[in-house]
Amino acid sequence: MSATTSVIDRLRARIGLEGPPITAPVEAGHVRRFVEAIGDPNPRWNKEAPPTFLVALAPVSLHLAEAEGYGKGWLNGGNQFEYFAPVVIGDRITATGRVADVYEKPGSTGNLLFIIFETEYVNQRGEQVARLKGTAIRR
Amino acid sequence: MNIEVGQELPELVKHPTTRQLVQYAGAQGDFYEIHYDQAYAQSVALPGVILHGLLKAAFLGQLVTDWLGDRGTLKTFEVSYRGIDRPGHPYRCRGRVTRVDGDEVELEVWGEDDSGKRTTVGAATVQLGA
Repeated sequence: MSATTSVIDRLRARIGLEGPPITAPVEAGHVRRFVEAIGDPNPRWNKEAPPTFLVALAPVSLHLAEAEGYGKGWLNGGNQFEYFAPVVIGDRITATGRVADVYEKPGSTGNLLFIIFETEYVNQRGEQVARLKGTAIRR
Repeated sequence: MNIEVGQELPELVKHPTTRQLVQYAGAQGDFYEIHYDQAYAQSVALPGVILHGLLKAAFLGQLVTDWLGDRGTLKTFEVSYRGIDRPGHPYRCRGRVTRVDGDEVELEVWGEDDSGKRTTVGAATVQLGA
């Protein structure tokens, strides 16, 4: 109980923590391997990245070692994408992630720990192309 | 084709395999063992390896972009994972139009396991003609 409380307190102290910006090119071969993996043959993806491709450019969460002191494993609770401009092959995207929230909530088989990560994606022209909010759950 | 509230999107049925999970793990760069290592998955109280949430999101993204074609642009897309899905079981992606406001269309999307349970629920907003 007290161990769990201190894990949550230590994690809550990380709210607002920003990870280092990660810049990655949107490569044709990477997009091709991604659309092959998801099984989406749309020829549009020869030029453009499909809606969830951004998650393949940079980690969608920050590594928070102390979270591993809670529960047995991770689950993905959900993802929310907002799109502001298209992402096309040849772009260079910079992803910056941060810890947006941490809280505990009762689940059907005991308490769960929720960590909300937010990632902002900016292209080589400095235009924001997308934002992703992800809910990571420790169970 | 007119877009009207209540209209259903043509359904998309996926047949994920363990091989596809490995392929997706590589393409995304997510090597969490619960997606390809049976013994590890069982050690964290899962029935076996499970689909990546983001793979299910990609399936539902395809449902939307297949339906939308070149008629518009995806503006928002969100998914919430309510249950686990395992390879070797079909995954049905479905959706329908919930709101039409000028050029803005809202959709409800979901993924069903082979018992008809909605293991993923979500929503999308598209801007027509953009």
